[in-house]
Amino acid sequence: MPSERRLHPLSFVFVIGGQIRQLVVPGLVVLIGAGSAGLDWQGWVMLFVVPYAIVALLGTLSFRYRFDAGELVITRGFVFRNERHVPYGRIQNIDAVQHVLHRLLRVVDVRVETGGGDEPEARMRVLPIAALEEMRERVLAGRAARAVQSGDSPAGAVAQTVAPQRRALLTLGPRELLLAGFIDSKGLIIVGAAFGLLWELGLFDSTVNVLLGEQVSSRGVIRQAVGALVGGRLPSIGRMAVMVLAFAAFVGAIRVLSMIWSLIRLWGFQLYRVADDLGTEFGLFTRVMATIPLRRIQTVTVRETPLHRVFRTAAIRVDSAGSDGAEGGAARRESLAPIVRRADLQRVLGEVLPDVDVLAAAWSPVDPRGFWRAFRSSLVLAVLLTLPFIAMLRWWTLAWLAVLVGWAWVHARLYVKHLAWAVGDQAVLFRSGYLWRELTVARFNKIQAVTLGESPFDRRARMASVRVDTAGAANASHRVDIPYLARHVADGLYRRLAGEAARTAFRW
Amino acid sequence: MGSLGSGRPASENTGKSCRREAPAVPGIGRRYDMSGMDDDSVVATAEDGATELPPPEPATSFARPPRSNELRRLDPHYVPLQRAVGWIVTAVVSVCSLAAVGILWLTGDLPWIARLLLVPGWLLVTLGIGWLSYAWPAVHYRHVSYTLDDEGIEIRTGVWWRQVMSVPRSRVQHIDVSQGPLERSYGLGRLVLYTAGTDHSRVELAGLNHAVAFGLRNHLLPRGSDDAV
Repeated sequence: MPSERRLHPLSFVFVIGGQIRQLVVPGLVVLIGAGSAGLDWQGWVMLFVVPYAIVALLGTLSFRYRFDAGELVITRGFVFRNERHVPYGRIQNIDAVQHVLHRLLRVVDVRVETGGGDEPEARMRVLPIAALEEMRERVLAGRAARAVQSGDSPAGAVAQTVAPQRRALLTLGPRELLLAGFIDSKGLIIVGAAFGLLWELGLFDSTVNVLLGEQVSSRGVIRQAVGALVGGRLPSIGRMAVMVLAFAAFVGAIRVLSMIWSLIRLWGFQLYRVADDLGTEFGLFTRVMATIPLRRIQTVTVRETPLHRVFRTAAIRVDSAGSDGAEGGAARRESLAPIVRRADLQRVLGEVLPDVDVLAAAWSPVDPRGFWRAFRSSLVLAVLLTLPFIAMLRWWTLAWLAVLVGWAWVHARLYVKHLAWAVGDQAVLFRSGYLWRELTVARFNKIQAVTLGESPFDRRARMASVRVDTAGAANASHRVDIPYLARHVADGLYRRLAGEAARTAFRW
Repeated sequence: MGSLGSGRPASENTGKSCRREAPAVPGIGRRYDMSGMDDDSVVATAEDGATELPPPEPATSFARPPRSNELRRLDPHYVPLQRAVGWIVTAVVSVCSLAAVGILWLTGDLPWIARLLLVPGWLLVTLGIGWLSYAWPAVHYRHVSYTLDDEGIEIRTGVWWRQVMSVPRSRVQHIDVSQGPLERSYGLGRLVLYTAGTDHSRVELAGLNHAVAFGLRNHLLPRGSDDAV
């Protein structure tokens, strides 16, 4: 009988702490907003926390897990006993998060995830760090043993099972992290949140007053600017200069914030490979350690913004099927490499997609007649956007329309020129966008369904689009959805992809 | 393809309603001879090439030969079923809008021209919806078909925005065959395929003969344990 293990003795602190935080953060906001009137409200909160604390304490005290031959066994509960068996082969991710307090106490918050469901299969809040290492090794060894038994492991796996080597694929230094922050501009989120809070609490105007030292109504600036634009009264040169400078300073401040945020969040970022798993590790205060089995990766997307191109870099994201619903579960993993030098791109992609040569793919363009369709649709959009302003613009409408036609022409030309697709031995590739370029690779064995679509416009032009559905695609993620294909090309592509998908077996 | 036949026993339940008179479905009989299209012929086509099925016509504009089997259509009873649903919707909408018209007429402060237009407007809306719910099911029926082979199923749908979707059998996670009360009275059922995908995690094929739906389910269910998760 393998020995049973328990959670860290301080576990209940984190369980209760998590609950209190959920209650207290909104509570604090309300308290600040309501002044001192909300004080006795705190007492009520405490009443709710006490029984919960007892339940949590019992829950953590009863929590046991052990490593059996082929599976991880978790038992919990004193009254209602629950025993859960998770085979090593089904375990997809062992994610670990450390906040500041975790790090002070040298413990980790661990989630064990399998293929299905929105919830992690097991959440161990919290384990000593050594226990996490042990679990990683046990699961890896157990999985490898199973693969050897069933004989479906890749050729090299046997050698690796003995001692899984950790091999760094990508390490990001502070300079690269600052660059990533500069390019990503996540600072906007922080600024937005801060703005929202200030506005909500009515502190906005007073803050501005303190900052500028005089009575400036913040809303007045924007109103004046809009008034100036709409009414045709040009503001004075000085005022315009102030506005432009303020805007530039604002944009600059966002970038700086974003850089600092990126430095804190991704500090010491490393992407590494252990046997057939990829892992990432990052964070200055909150340390995140996540793994993705290679075969679990559904699609890989390479993204290049204009700034990426200036600095000769790119970003890599992956979609992996799994517990998207769990808080931040997917978000923690999806950014495989926030920033990669173009020189390293080939190497990293080679590790993630060993049998697909992404950068040397034989690209095919879409049908050149797609230009006219893209042009027409941008033109319709442009005209619709102009209509409401005809009364205001009068004869300027014609000039404005000329500009729009030019823009539609250039946009359609570039857009269609940068649409391309490729079919390799193992995967289908699609890229789009001319300023914000994205390239997505979907392996045949990850294709769930293939769709050939024909809109009425497609039919008129004898075209069609081909779309590939994969698991775990986030709402905003770039998909393989190829428009403007000549119909016989689309037919061939659809047939090919449907056939390839049917011939391969899907594994999570 | 023999596995399709295993859906037969299930047809005992619904056989009574399935084998009612040859559907006198105006609007679709012009193009297809539906008389022979009971569940037997549909089930049997693939193997012994029964000729009772209407000839596969190029229902969509995808001009290419079907994979290994011919196009199969939905059960023709789907048209009267959808019409029945349409009538119910029409009745509800027209009664509600009539009540609204009545209230406006009695209490609203309307110019006489608006009052004059109220009743013809209501009539127009009702007739429009009624006509749509009569005509649309036949059009829709003509544009839905599916093909089945060893690799999976291919479903064609859409009148204006057409699409052909291929779902390989190896990607089917599980399958539902469901039947509502109206569908039961027409002997119909719907097949729902679940994949691990995102946009097409649920692929629905409604308007199948209930027994055929079971046959399809048996054919499409994953075989063996080769696709361990």
